[in-house]
Amino acid sequence: MSVKYIPVQWNSNKWKYNAVMLSAVFAYLWIFIELTPDIMQNEGRINSQVHNARAFGSCAFFMLTVILCIGPLARLDERFLPLLYNRRHFGVIAAAIGVTHAFYIINWYFAFSKSNKYEALLFANTSYGQLAGFPFEIFGVFSLTCMLLLAVTSHDFWLKFLTPRIWKNVHYLIYAAYISVVAHVSFGILQDQQDNRLTIAIIISALAVAVLHVLAAFKERKTGDVAAKTLDNNLVRVCDVSEMIDGYAKVIKLENGERVAVYLQKDKLSAISNACAHQNGPLGEGKIIDCLVTCPWHGFQYNVKDGSSPAPFTEKVPTYNLHLDGDTVFVDPKANPPGTYVEPVAINP
Amino acid sequence: MTQKKKPFFVGYLGIPKALKGFLLKASLLIFAGFATGGVLAGVSQDDPGEAGFRFDFGRQTVSGVIQAEPYPILHVTKGNERIKTGRTIMLTGQGKSGVSGNKALSEETVVDATGIILKRGDLDMLQLAGGKRGIKITEAKDELPESQYLGKWRLQGEICDGKCLVGAMQPGRGLAHKACAILCLFGDIPPVFVSTQPIEGSEFMLVGGPDGGPLPESTYDYIGQFVEVEAELERRGDMLVMLVDPATLKAVK
Repeated sequence: MSVKYIPVQWNSNKWKYNAVMLSAVFAYLWIFIELTPDIMQNEGRINSQVHNARAFGSCAFFMLTVILCIGPLARLDERFLPLLYNRRHFGVIAAAIGVTHAFYIINWYFAFSKSNKYEALLFANTSYGQLAGFPFEIFGVFSLTCMLLLAVTSHDFWLKFLTPRIWKNVHYLIYAAYISVVAHVSFGILQDQQDNRLTIAIIISALAVAVLHVLAAFKERKTGDVAAKTLDNNLVRVCDVSEMIDGYAKVIKLENGERVAVYLQKDKLSAISNACAHQNGPLGEGKIIDCLVTCPWHGFQYNVKDGSSPAPFTEKVPTYNLHLDGDTVFVDPKANPPGTYVEPVAINP
Repeated sequence: MTQKKKPFFVGYLGIPKALKGFLLKASLLIFAGFATGGVLAGVSQDDPGEAGFRFDFGRQTVSGVIQAEPYPILHVTKGNERIKTGRTIMLTGQGKSGVSGNKALSEETVVDATGIILKRGDLDMLQLAGGKRGIKITEAKDELPESQYLGKWRLQGEICDGKCLVGAMQPGRGLAHKACAILCLFGDIPPVFVSTQPIEGSEFMLVGGPDGGPLPESTYDYIGQFVEVEAELERRGDMLVMLVDPATLKAVK
């Protein structure tokens, strides 16, 4: 949470996260670049420019794979949520690794001619009408463009400027980037590779991303909230009070697709939008800490009575009116403007 | 685990005790995964074979007679320890530039050629030194060796750019290298066919077009691919030259 924009709001967990991820990336690159040439004992030596390009390119691919696995893993097992917390930094690092790969390729394969090397990248191979020999470089250009766009707009300034909905939609480009990277390696290096180990590793990686997303979607469908019907009294039934736990929420999906998080706090019920104003994180899967609803994704906090972040923060989410009929909790599906105070409903009046 | 007992992580607060062990294991797994990936991806690269610039030989100067088409080659008439008399070698300029545009390299001109040798197996190429140091036209007269027509062949293999193939780039062939190879051919680097089977004792053949001139650009879509093509084959000196019929060129799966 922030009241002003600074490049990075560091905290100890971010340092630890980056230390783990960066050490993994350095280990990959160091082993690939420094150790494997001696292990291979080939008759001929691969040019260092090509060797380095392959090291950085394959590293960026595996980084993207990890980035895309974190989301569904966190949906399947909440213990992975800390990996989601600082994923943006890992994404920016992946973009930098991808740029380094492109730098080596362009300054090797596309250099030394009379043509401009960036133009050569686009005109050298134009066999777009065939599968074998297809200009796979174009997939790499697309992926890298997406990754750079995501890296540049990863800061919270852009999130606020574009609004979470647009920002999130823009950042779904990561899937297009990944598919494009898979095409890039499939039509490129894998067409030549006689050794199948890299091919197998890439297939397993792509499958892991796909399978985890399918499993997460199944879980969502199985355990996810079904849209509740609006009753004749224009209210929607949430649950019985006995089902609620102090400090936690019940989430109800309205007919319009919006989700409402109904919180129980010290024998009083309040309802706010389930979508965090930061990145649409699931507020209903958070908990109340220090009297404030805390988002499980990045820790943004809101007063459950008015949906406002505590001063000096300015984030606000819509609130909802609740009704108690006996032991049953009902919500009015009409949202109040973000930051509207709603008197909590006491469960033991 | 009930909702209440589940550890709840907030980024700017400390890590819950119940999560510390799990996150430590996850961190080690990520590190080990990347380290293993580095080994796996690194060692699975194919051997590009022995080829490359022979800077260790130093700059070489040999004399010979030029055959200009389809790309200038030098029939060595006065060789040295590294490039024997009687050898036929391809010529290239710096970077991705061939020497077809060099007017001094006209048919049957006798020259002293100076440069660095590139070598793959029995295929040699001389990268000429820059400026006037690379080629000196001599007053001597000499004749081209007689060409030996070897008939019409249907061949399978790959058309590469000759310079990367002989080791200017390692690896210097294949689909991943296709764009680079085409760029080289645009720069008049001589293309070379790598046959799946040795023909007349050689798996490498200098490639030209059907009229004996350079390879037509219409064939460039097939560069770097496994192809089948019909060609007239000739032996010029100790080098095989194939003049391909572009109409017969097709990709082979």
